[in-house]
Amino acid sequence: MSEGEKKQLDLKRREMPKQPPEVRRYNFSEVALGYTPELAIEEAKRCIQCKKPSCIANCPVEINIPGFLKKVAEGDFVGGIRVLKDKNCLPAVCGRVCPQEEQCEKTCVFHKKGGQIAIGRIERFLADWEAQQSESEMPDMPPRSGRKVAIVGGGPAGLTVAGDLIKFGHEVTVFEALHKMGGVLVYGIPEFRLPKAIVNREVEYLRKLGVELVTDFVVGKTRTIDSILEEYDAVFVGSGAGLPWFMEIPGENLNGVYSANEYLTRLNLMKGFLFPKYHTPVKSHRKVAVVGGGNVAMDCARSALRLGAESRIIYRRSREELPARLEEVENAEEEGVIFDFLTLPLRYIGDENGWVKAIECQKMELGEPDASGRRKPIPIEGSEVIYPLDAVVCAIGNSPNPLIGATTPGLKIGKKGNIEADEKTGATSREKIWAGGDVVTGAATVILAMGAGRFAARSIHEYLSSL
Amino acid sequence: MNLNSVSQILDFAIEKEEEAAQFYRNLAAKMGQQHVGEVFESFAREEMEHKAKLLAVRQGNMTLIDSQRVTDLKIGDHLVEVVLSPDLDYKQALIVAMKAEKAAFQLYQGLASSTDDANLKGILLTLAKEEARHKLRFEIEYEENFLREN
Ligand SMILES: Cc1cc2nc3c(=O)[nH]c(=O)nc-3n(C[C@H](O)[C@H](O)[C@H](O)COP(=O)(O)OP(=O)(O)OC[C@H]3O[C@@H](n4cnc5c(N)ncnc54)[C@H](O)[C@@H]3O)c2cc1C
Ligand code: SF4
Repeated sequence: MSEGEKKQLDLKRREMPKQPPEVRRYNFSEVALGYTPELAIEEAKRCIQCKKPSCIANCPVEINIPGFLKKVAEGDFVGGIRVLKDKNCLPAVCGRVCPQEEQCEKTCVFHKKGGQIAIGRIERFLADWEAQQSESEMPDMPPRSGRKVAIVGGGPAGLTVAGDLIKFGHEVTVFEALHKMGGVLVYGIPEFRLPKAIVNREVEYLRKLGVELVTDFVVGKTRTIDSILEEYDAVFVGSGAGLPWFMEIPGENLNGVYSANEYLTRLNLMKGFLFPKYHTPVKSHRKVAVVGGGNVAMDCARSALRLGAESRIIYRRSREELPARLEEVENAEEEGVIFDFLTLPLRYIGDENGWVKAIECQKMELGEPDASGRRKPIPIEGSEVIYPLDAVVCAIGNSPNPLIGATTPGLKIGKKGNIEADEKTGATSREKIWAGGDVVTGAATVILAMGAGRFAARSIHEYLSSL
Repeated sequence: MNLNSVSQILDFAIEKEEEAAQFYRNLAAKMGQQHVGEVFESFAREEMEHKAKLLAVRQGNMTLIDSQRVTDLKIGDHLVEVVLSPDLDYKQALIVAMKAEKAAFQLYQGLASSTDDANLKGILLTLAKEEARHKLRFEIEYEENFLREN
């Protein structure tokens, strides 16, 4: 922009309408309501179309961000969605759950002044706008290659590989252990943050493209990878990190102590909150403590609140270190989740019927900075406190389930049970087997799982083309 | 057990390091998952490094340095004891190690408090600190891998 044309910079991010906290804490409907077309256009117009856009460099799948913002600013939503979908096959999901504040928006030139473009909100708007149109555009399909690929796990990594490979002309089958496709997007992230209808729509799109979707099929049990390879030319493993960790403290086998996985799965996949319409109820608790500080912990605490409980987060460090997205922490605070920072659970205390009735915790203080400059929490002797409660949800992390490693000889497994795979290609120690997403990195993010899927799809396609 | 001189104490400590290494090697051999076996093998190697260091001290080629205070993160203290079995995982392996190092620390601390000889007390406390340092190294590994609460 030349001096003459310099216009007043608009640093005001357009707020996205939300359900008010006092209303939303009693329902499971989506918290954020999304931009109107007018708001989306206004917000997109703030982008100054940088010559060297620093936002793109910090997007794990390199979406042409100014490209789609320009289209939206011009009111060309069809053009916008095309640019977006060129790099991201799940924009309605990413627009909702990606940590944009740590990625594209963090490096937007307006970030320092607090006016970074709300890229995620516009992405979400475009994807939702497209969904409201009668039919989404179907891509031109190349001739069939005659090659077959099996995908283990129907989460974001597996679905990305499936979408890319079918568009390269290969035959694709996804084998999913649960009765629904979508991975954590359906069984983990709750309805109020990511409506399941959105994930189902993306899955249906893949089905329409011709991907075969097989549910209730546990690879390693129903059939091993080696037996699948007798029929398929290649396998991609995107089985996620679904094995929950516990604190390993006394009382963890009491009734009422859940892993985040179990708690959220009962709620999301089995629709526990709609009991008796759905069969698996979630016991209603009065006081729930959630141990942890990530997105998973926030989701559990906010779900407990919606089920009518007093809900508290117990976290060993201070607020600044919370690994959850800031937006979700603020949402939780507004809704009334209680936060106990610098607090460590020591044991769970049970009643005479084997149900948890209290948690004993110890307060922590931050010690001297270590070599990396970080201050580690250290317990304060004599600071023990006991909170009465009737449920605990442990949300401190997950690792990959050992089943695939144990049933696939020669597949190299890392210390934490993760499959070892090349970062750029997803190739594993075994020929014809690729892997990506949480099963390789440990619990990470949707966009990183999709990015890994994209790299792997390219590498599998190269391999199949060379046969 | 005669611990009436520095060299007797060092011999005892060298033997303890060897025992610890053997304990980890035995576990490594029993593990069902190869990558967990490798974790225990690496713990055994660390004990052998300690043993080598103590041998060097006994031969007069090295002195034990007792400078910094060792932080006790107390991460292992409240964790339940791991039942040893072939299907342990990395997390449990670290708990086993934290608990073992804590026990070794307490052993030297106890021995130190049972002697009035300042010289012997000094060496026993230094050995206790070495074990505390080793425990801290496992605590940090545990914290960084399993207490990110994410
Ligand atoms: C509660 C929660 C909230 C989260 N919030 C966010 C967020 O806000 N933003 C964000 O970016 N990320 C978030 N994440 C993380 C994100 O969801 C994951 O990083 C991502 O889903 C990983 O994708 P994936 O495809 O690798 O694995 P998954 O989504 O875990 O999918 C793996 C699939 O494989 C299936 N499977 C496993 N084993 C087998 C087998 N043997 N045979 C067949 N199928 C198998 C599983 O059933 C599952 O469906 C959250 C995670 C959780 C749990
Ligand atoms: S950095 Fe910000 S202003 Fe620049 S192109 Fe990207 S979104 Fe637009």
